[in-house]
Amino acid sequence: MDVSRRNFLKLSGLSIAALAAGLGFDPAVAEAKGYVLKLEGSKKIPSICHFCSGGCGMLLYVKDGKLIHLEGDPDHPTNEGTLCPKAASLLSVANSPDRVIRPRRRAPGANHWEDISWEEALDIVAKKTKEVRDASWKAADEIVNAKTGLPESFLVNRAEGIAFLGSAEVDNEESYLISKFSRLIGTPYNEHQARI
Amino acid sequence: MSPSFGRGAMTNSWSDLKNSEVFLIAGSNCAENHPIAMKWINRAKEKGAKIIVVDPRFTRTAAKADIFAQIRPGTDIAYLGAIINYILNQKLYDEKYVLNYTNALLKISKDYKLDDGIFSGYNEKTRKYATTSWAYQLGPDNKPLKAESLEDPDCVFAKLKVHYSRYTFATAENISGIPAAKIKEIAEVFCQGKPGSILYALGMTQHTTGVQGIRAYAIIQLLLGNIGKAGGGINALRGEPNVQGSTDMANLVSNLPGYLPYPINTDKTLQDYLVRNGSFYEKHLVALLKAWYGANATKENDYGFNYLPKTNPSVNATMVKIFEMMNKGQFKLLFNVGSNSLVSIPDRKLVRSGLAKLDMLVVSDLFEIETAQFWREPGVNPADIKTEVIMFPAAFVYEKAGSMSNSSRWIQWKEAAIKPLGESKPDLDLLDHLFKKIRKLYEGSTDVKDAPILKARWDYGEGEPSALKVLQELSGYDETTGKLLPTIGDYLKAPIGTASTGCWIYAGVTGNGNLAARRKNDDPTGLGLFREWSFAWPGNVRILYNRASCDEAGRPVDAKRQLIWWDSAAKVWAGNDGADVVDKTKGPDTPEGKQSFRMNPEGVGRLFAATYMSGLPVAPPTDGLPPIGIRPGGLCVDGPLPEYYEPTESPSTNILHPKVSISPVALVVSTQLGKSEEYPHVLTTYGVVEHFCAGGITRNIPWLNEIMPEPFAEISKNLGEKIGVKEGDMVEVASARGKITVRALVTDRLQTYKVNGKDTETIGMPWSWGFASLSPGPSTNDLTIAALDPGAGTPEYKVCLVNIRRA
Repeated sequence: MDVSRRNFLKLSGLSIAALAAGLGFDPAVAEAKGYVLKLEGSKKIPSICHFCSGGCGMLLYVKDGKLIHLEGDPDHPTNEGTLCPKAASLLSVANSPDRVIRPRRRAPGANHWEDISWEEALDIVAKKTKEVRDASWKAADEIVNAKTGLPESFLVNRAEGIAFLGSAEVDNEESYLISKFSRLIGTPYNEHQARI
Repeated sequence: MSPSFGRGAMTNSWSDLKNSEVFLIAGSNCAENHPIAMKWINRAKEKGAKIIVVDPRFTRTAAKADIFAQIRPGTDIAYLGAIINYILNQKLYDEKYVLNYTNALLKISKDYKLDDGIFSGYNEKTRKYATTSWAYQLGPDNKPLKAESLEDPDCVFAKLKVHYSRYTFATAENISGIPAAKIKEIAEVFCQGKPGSILYALGMTQHTTGVQGIRAYAIIQLLLGNIGKAGGGINALRGEPNVQGSTDMANLVSNLPGYLPYPINTDKTLQDYLVRNGSFYEKHLVALLKAWYGANATKENDYGFNYLPKTNPSVNATMVKIFEMMNKGQFKLLFNVGSNSLVSIPDRKLVRSGLAKLDMLVVSDLFEIETAQFWREPGVNPADIKTEVIMFPAAFVYEKAGSMSNSSRWIQWKEAAIKPLGESKPDLDLLDHLFKKIRKLYEGSTDVKDAPILKARWDYGEGEPSALKVLQELSGYDETTGKLLPTIGDYLKAPIGTASTGCWIYAGVTGNGNLAARRKNDDPTGLGLFREWSFAWPGNVRILYNRASCDEAGRPVDAKRQLIWWDSAAKVWAGNDGADVVDKTKGPDTPEGKQSFRMNPEGVGRLFAATYMSGLPVAPPTDGLPPIGIRPGGLCVDGPLPEYYEPTESPSTNILHPKVSISPVALVVSTQLGKSEEYPHVLTTYGVVEHFCAGGITRNIPWLNEIMPEPFAEISKNLGEKIGVKEGDMVEVASARGKITVRALVTDRLQTYKVNGKDTETIGMPWSWGFASLSPGPSTNDLTIAALDPGAGTPEYKVCLVNIRRA
């Protein structure tokens, strides 16, 4: 029986008594048992990696509403259960103490953030959007007609003071709503990092 | 790719890579940046496929290569031009494919020419081209004249021959630093393997000549007959989890969702828009307007066409230019969702000064990225920054339901696995709640300017919006019944104005249940098509342009890799893949059934990106209005054929045409430019496997920071010796725009090379760091140049000039 130092430490945690009795069981089985215990009672939910454009499948193990384990989805035809180091590390994002978890505001000139509610934050942004939209509204472009030499007015409906940088990091549905939201409020200045 | 093939997307798929016989991987270090690609490439290699890697560094991908060539960054068109020249001279092209599936025989206008590095139509004042002389000679039916043979001096094929005759192996060596014999070996090996696949990523696009580099790939692959085939194609390895989807959804100033051209100020009516863009877009634009304005989009009001904001075509508002406009004070409010420009934009002080000019910056992200706290970057006094910043906490990928489209165009759905952390919410909620609040503020307004907000259709549920409802809007409705349209075919058959879809290429994705959520991983052909796993646009076609995998009679040319075929008994295009044809019931003897590249106006692949609008009527319309064609060909604003230009900052002048050394139409935004006397070395930037893009997520993951803790400058042993620097020493790297201090990595992966006989050095630096996060570090984009590709707006991150010294 081959008991490495690492396995030995695990075993010692499990049953000192069993060891004292000259083991009396197979450590490999004990280790498998420990692994099963960790995931026992968890739900397996498939998801998709959030890094490169491979779209590799991940399997998330969720227990009591918490993400406890993450691995490659063996059924996914692209990655067949494998994950790169970045994807494998995504477990830590779910419970990272460094996540921003409530809306915050930095006042003009301030050197710190203050927490605010979603409602307050949305109100501030909605009002600002209306204010900038109304103040920077350009109803028409004047263009000189090449034939007549006279300026001609063309309806353009642009909120010149608003730009929206969208994202290749969000879902299709979100990306689409960014597109739609921007154009509905009157800004064609909607770009994102695909350009770069 | 769009000007060549009609669609701007990776042609094949990840799992299809196993079908290739030879790979040219140039402009991608996929072993680190797309590890999953390597899995499938290795499978092909096990079966005997050859791998060619061309890169400025001996990368982890190069470690798997049969042939490796170290190239001077930004000189790809020189060696690719030499390969094209070799293919033409040695007659290595697939003659049947070239004759039937490309525009090789079509005759080009006699006014077209290239003179000393300048194409016909150049305007020195505007630094732009008029593209009229890049057109075909048209017959009385307004169709391009076809030459009798490839020998006709007016035909595209002849133009190609003349153009690339200047690109000898010796010239290519002098420009690129790759030995002539090596370029010849690459050409021989790549032409011998069929099918051959080309893989690229940002290494190819981040240049002032990025689009033309991909055009050179397209020319090679069309000549060799490698497009539309399993194991062939041009595989653009897209850089982010949903960059295919976000491009489809048009978070871009130049498009509306589904690659519809963006309306401009002179488009007073839908009719004007169609005169410019062709009738092909009528159905799709009207369907989009129906999705956006619902019952308020009627035939009488031009389907709400004038609710849309129109752009001014003389203003270039692409990503980097937006920051230039911000610096000039145009924008007061910036929304910044899911990107970190303060780290990722070249010459990044442009971002810092631009953000300070805003009234308000609205950020939504997972972590407190650099962009959100630009006001407290070291060296900045927060009291001087008057910008109000509102930051929303975003939910992560597995905390929300929705779909993402991977590089293979697979639209993959996932459910929320856990609740968002703390008070964080999906961006879907942010946008939904915000739009409803804004609409409330405008309630009751009769001002015409407020109509687009008040008349909009915006109905994704009360409380938390439903992502599925949004995907259903993309998939499309029969507006007369309010029911989902089952398939893209049903959408295409519906009369104009009776159907809606938010993005027509996604039509049908939820028409028969949510097909994006399918998880059947059967692969009966063994070709890696997986047609019942999720849903691929368009219409679940897995290999684009697969009509070109058949001969003229509709029979597969490769017996081992059969994708589609004409079933003459059933009178339908059948096969293992969905047929990428105009109409599945139109056989190979019909004009529709002959079209191999149905998204192009000529119906064929475009070796020469000619100016052309198909379907223009022979007689002028009787109503006196301007004629409307069907569809225009995609144009490259910098020329119909790829020509070699030096990078904006270069250690050499252009030996092909010294007077026109750099691209005459490149957009240079940076104001501080360096010369090689002061900044003798070439800097190229890249990513590492442990970090992702601007590091907003990965620099906050402890495991990854442990493996890759800090940025560095990678230099050759020769350069290390010359400046007295050993591995691990600190060095200062400086460009005309800034300087940063990092550790040196002295390596064999970079070698000194010769450019026009002169010893030259490349310095490599990863760029994923910034001043914030768990693992802060200097930003390489303090050094890079904001010089843009004139068509795509992509910056030249991959080349600028620097100097280096021991710090």
